[in-house]
Amino acid sequence: MYSCGIDIGSVSTEAIILKKDDNDNFDICSYVIGRTGSDIKTASENIFNDALLKAKIKKEDIKTIIATGYGRKNVSFANKNITEITCHASGVLSVFPDVKTIIDIGGQDSKVIKIDKLTKKPIDFLMNDKCAAGTGRFLEVMAKALDIELENFGKIFFNTNEKIEITSTCTVFAESEIVSLIGHGVDKGKIVKGLLYSVADRIISMISRLGLEEPVSLTGGVAKNSGIVGALEEKLKTKLLIPFEPQVTGALGAAALALKI
Amino acid sequence: MGIVSIKEKIIDSIQNNLDIKSVRKILKLISNPIVFFLYGLSFKSVSDKYLNKYSLSYMREVYCGNHPIAYGSLFIPYEILNSLNLKLILPEVMGGFTAGLGVTDKTLSNAANNWYSADLCTFHRSASGAANMSLFPKPDFIICSNLACDAACKSFEDMAKKFEIEDRFYLIDIPYENDEISLKYLAVQLENIYFDISDKLKIKPDINNLKKALINSNKLRSHLLEVNKIREELFDYPQYYNGLSYILPLFGLSGTSKAAELYRIMEKELKAKLRKQIQPGKMKKILWMHLKPYYRNEIFNILEENGCRVVCEEITDVFWEEMDPEKPFISLASKMISNPLRGNGQNRINTILSMAEKYKVDGAILFSHWGCRQSNGLARILKDRLAEIKIPLLILDGDCVDKNNCPSGQIKTRIEGFTEIINSL
Repeated sequence: MYSCGIDIGSVSTEAIILKKDDNDNFDICSYVIGRTGSDIKTASENIFNDALLKAKIKKEDIKTIIATGYGRKNVSFANKNITEITCHASGVLSVFPDVKTIIDIGGQDSKVIKIDKLTKKPIDFLMNDKCAAGTGRFLEVMAKALDIELENFGKIFFNTNEKIEITSTCTVFAESEIVSLIGHGVDKGKIVKGLLYSVADRIISMISRLGLEEPVSLTGGVAKNSGIVGALEEKLKTKLLIPFEPQVTGALGAAALALKI
Repeated sequence: MGIVSIKEKIIDSIQNNLDIKSVRKILKLISNPIVFFLYGLSFKSVSDKYLNKYSLSYMREVYCGNHPIAYGSLFIPYEILNSLNLKLILPEVMGGFTAGLGVTDKTLSNAANNWYSADLCTFHRSASGAANMSLFPKPDFIICSNLACDAACKSFEDMAKKFEIEDRFYLIDIPYENDEISLKYLAVQLENIYFDISDKLKIKPDINNLKKALINSNKLRSHLLEVNKIREELFDYPQYYNGLSYILPLFGLSGTSKAAELYRIMEKELKAKLRKQIQPGKMKKILWMHLKPYYRNEIFNILEENGCRVVCEEITDVFWEEMDPEKPFISLASKMISNPLRGNGQNRINTILSMAEKYKVDGAILFSHWGCRQSNGLARILKDRLAEIKIPLLILDGDCVDKNNCPSGQIKTRIEGFTEIINSL
């Protein structure tokens, strides 16, 4: 039996196809990551078709499709839609069954989900509010202002000892602050380190409200950035569990839930 | 022309002609029996229809220019003001009115131009902007209290200056403790206000009118107690009923026979629902804290679609004892001082916990209205205390008046995520 999960995020869209065996275990048949763009309908159809092609199966082979993410209501061919909160929890728990705190940092939102240790279900969550600080978009804008590839943030973070405090949390003001720091000849490495710590602080503020319980998992596209992983691990004083492809965790959770329907 | 297009035309007209004359014209138009009949078809219940019909006629009286007008904050003893035949405007109603009409962008912008800080509650900012723009009749009196809301005191004082009625501005000081000395201190203030307003209105104080107001208020209380009792038992809850829509009658019109009548109708209507109830409903029960957004929004529909229904609201709790009409001032003081939002935060927490248990709710939502310190300040403790009795609380950041401060996508995801948690418990 096959299932599909589609996660329509503000920046990227992911699809994953799972196959359940007789022992109720599942294998990943395919997964695809693409850009959402301005047309959610087309993006979801394209990503679904790509995932089918990669898995070498037909649409009719899929029993259930679940959509998640901010564009979840616009996936007309999905059988059901479930929020990214439940889907991320499901996705992480299918990889790391003992996780109690999940941090997800996506393109335009970040969230923290608390998992009940007995029921293994989400019992509380927090999401960033009205503001892109502490999200992937924030880092993208800053990378552009610094004229540094985002992928290099990790290397810079670990090779730089000092940091410059970034005082603005607003993306627009933080960008101006960085331009001003560059203008004053401040070392870009120190700015990068300061930026990563500022994102980590935003996330830690949410974790503190819910209460940190280990093990902690980090998901979302930003989890691929070793710099943010380093900043969070240093501040939280714990090792973060990162799924094999953190960007598809929401879609994975949706597909795993679809197998249970 | 359909009902929806009539409503849209009316709103469009107000948005494009923002002044008191256009509001008067619109109120006159809606009051036309044929238009009102068509408008009335959209009401889902008898009590809802009664509320709208009565609110409309009340607003016409407010706008007709023949009655003295008072602006008042939410928790003052309106029985006194109604007994003096003042027509009343509440900032919560003004804010809701401007939000409902979609003119909040303009009223908030006006308030900003007059140095109102963006972190002040939008009920008061929008009300101040609307008053500046002469969208409401000029007040003859302004009465507020420092019960729970500090924004009311400051913005009303500012309005009193603007309208040059500083000698007709009254601030009722609520004592921190609920004891005999505090009660007397409060009762004396209420008595002074009653006689001072009478004096300024140049009318002979008729204490019998005040006694009648207390009798009406007691009737409202008794019907509301019954309504709340029914809501404890009513499993398959009527979708249309939401106590958050009844701010004007519950507060501003307390002491009037019409408000008491509204709650009598509501009691009768819900009783009939209860009689027809055959089997337990499947909806999860939600306790709602603070107020709701008053512009068009999907919050309650999202809850319904996801199997959850608001069955009780903090604001509709009957926290006060029956009043003695023979001792009006001490009775009204007692009503004010019994408010759980007065004094130590524990008063509010105890009320919420008691409601959660009484209504057997599955979850609670605190609508964290932007700038409302009295409500949001307790969020952490409320969350922890409700968690102790296994009730999840969603702290829903938003704005009751400014839709721009309450992004619908974010609200939807939070509510759906919360309902998924509740439904999985």
